[in-house]
Amino acid sequence: MSPTASAEQAGAVAGTSGAVPAIATSGLRKTYGTRVALHDLTLTVPAGEVFGFLGPNGAGKTTAMKILLGLVRPSGGQALVFGRPPAEPAARRRVGYLPEHFRFQEWATGDELLDFHGRLAGLGAAERAARIPELLERVGLAGRGGERVRRYSKGMTQRLGLALAILHRPDLVLLDEPTSALDPVGRREVRELVRELAAAGVTVFLNSHLLTEVEAVCDRVAIVSQGRVVASGPLDDLAGAVTQLRVLLDRVDRPLLGLLGRHGQVARVEGTAVTLDVDTLDLAPNLARELVGAGYRLYGLVPVQRSLEDIFVDLVGEVREG
Amino acid sequence: MSSLVVARWTLLEARRRRLLAAGMALSGAFIVLFAVAFTLLYHAQQRDLVSGQGAVPPGGLDASTELLVMSTALVVLGLYGVQFLAVLLGLFLGVASVSPEIDSGALHAVLARPLSRLDYLLGRFFALAGLLTAYVVVMSSALLLTARVVAGYQPGNVPKVVGLMILQVFVLLAVSLLGSTVLPTLANGVVMLALFGLAWLGGIIGFIGTIPPGNELMANLGTAVSLLLPADAIWRGASFHVLPASLLAVQSFAGGVDFELPFASTTPIAPAMLAWSFAYPVACLALAVAAFRRRDL
Repeated sequence: MSPTASAEQAGAVAGTSGAVPAIATSGLRKTYGTRVALHDLTLTVPAGEVFGFLGPNGAGKTTAMKILLGLVRPSGGQALVFGRPPAEPAARRRVGYLPEHFRFQEWATGDELLDFHGRLAGLGAAERAARIPELLERVGLAGRGGERVRRYSKGMTQRLGLALAILHRPDLVLLDEPTSALDPVGRREVRELVRELAAAGVTVFLNSHLLTEVEAVCDRVAIVSQGRVVASGPLDDLAGAVTQLRVLLDRVDRPLLGLLGRHGQVARVEGTAVTLDVDTLDLAPNLARELVGAGYRLYGLVPVQRSLEDIFVDLVGEVREG
Repeated sequence: MSSLVVARWTLLEARRRRLLAAGMALSGAFIVLFAVAFTLLYHAQQRDLVSGQGAVPPGGLDASTELLVMSTALVVLGLYGVQFLAVLLGLFLGVASVSPEIDSGALHAVLARPLSRLDYLLGRFFALAGLLTAYVVVMSSALLLTARVVAGYQPGNVPKVVGLMILQVFVLLAVSLLGSTVLPTLANGVVMLALFGLAWLGGIIGFIGTIPPGNELMANLGTAVSLLLPADAIWRGASFHVLPASLLAVQSFAGGVDFELPFASTTPIAPAMLAWSFAYPVACLALAVAAFRRRDL
């Protein structure tokens, strides 16, 4: 599966950037002293895609995002945003960003903050006047723009951050843990927002360790652990990369495990239920016949869809043990 | 263009954080205190001189010169107070200009915009420099006006006095802004106060070195410290222009009026030191931009 395979298609959807990917990094590396924060990150995010960047805390997700915004200088490798290095201010013109800790100048009001960022993003006075109330409404802060950010709750501040990220109708939005301070309703609203952005052809790069959130909105994901990408691809491919069969029998004995071992790898035995890693589900009918032929009573033979969480825990666990 | 947006934002911040209100209130109190003290002392001295008329000792000063010497000393001390306030203000504003925004994380969203770090720093610097300029102009004008109304006091060269005081504040603002891009806030504050204290001490050492018969080593030491931070040297240059032309004339005629203050100078700033004082803030800003560009946020 080539990460760039859908670039043209996605570009056509976005209609703006042709084949230039929204994000392209190669061999990106960041070290702080002897600590490696990011190790050889190579990935391409075609324009128009919703990309999930997954990993445990401290995996290097935020560092990667900051490099894409020119906030952190890479120690090696290259990063391009719409074909330009993000250290150039002009390269960031089409980019919106919600920082992980969503801290803003607390002495200012929400309106003032949006106005300041609107000016920096190059929006004209009329555009700001129209866009700011509309955005506050969109993120659920209607009527609260005149209050100082200091008085905002955490959730409100994060909503304000989302408004800032999409203020100038960017083509690429980088969201670093966008729902960390939100309640379930707020999380759902963010998912809807991301879907709306995607429908409008906006590329979304989402950092998260909340797997359900990523599963719900992302086209493609990369899983990082300890600064390395340990898996990447479309969500369905990742979930289908390893297939499991759950076999329910009247008994489990040594010959049974031998028989099962010829079809796949035994992952778990729980009572008289065996979970078997297999390459393909096509072998299920044959396996059933053999089991019955060998005198076992077969109560169930169920394909198991692995959740992203299972894959995540497996992969991250492997890296940690290694 | 972006730097103007940042400058405007910085001024809004100064207003919102009640920096302007607090600064104006306290500075107003300072001016009132000066006016009261100056008026009382001037009139007391005037009465003394009138009552003791004809008692001028041989080689002494006549009454009007004596009043002038006293007025000058008071004005120099008053302006010394103004520059001290302005310098501290410049230091605090510079120290608080960048690093607290980095520490709080508020800068991340700002610098992710199409805004260069150069524009950000320039916007910060020019807004704060503008505030400080206004502060120095208003405060020194109020003080000099008071002296003029009460005593008819005419300083040697008001634009040079005020101009040099502004230059001094720019030096402090630029160096503390440089510190703010490379050091944590508290560390920067400590370093800047120490540096300012050192420059002040260097000025005193240099002053003692010039007292006859003179001590070349001490004078050179004072100059060396001034190169490190030309704050006190610029103030001394400014203080020279506070002296009225008539007093300077008397001084050269009489072979030196007894007018020496450890915080002031009776000679103008050396041209080389003046050139260095102009180059200093520019160099600090250039270093700040270079350091800030390399900094990971």
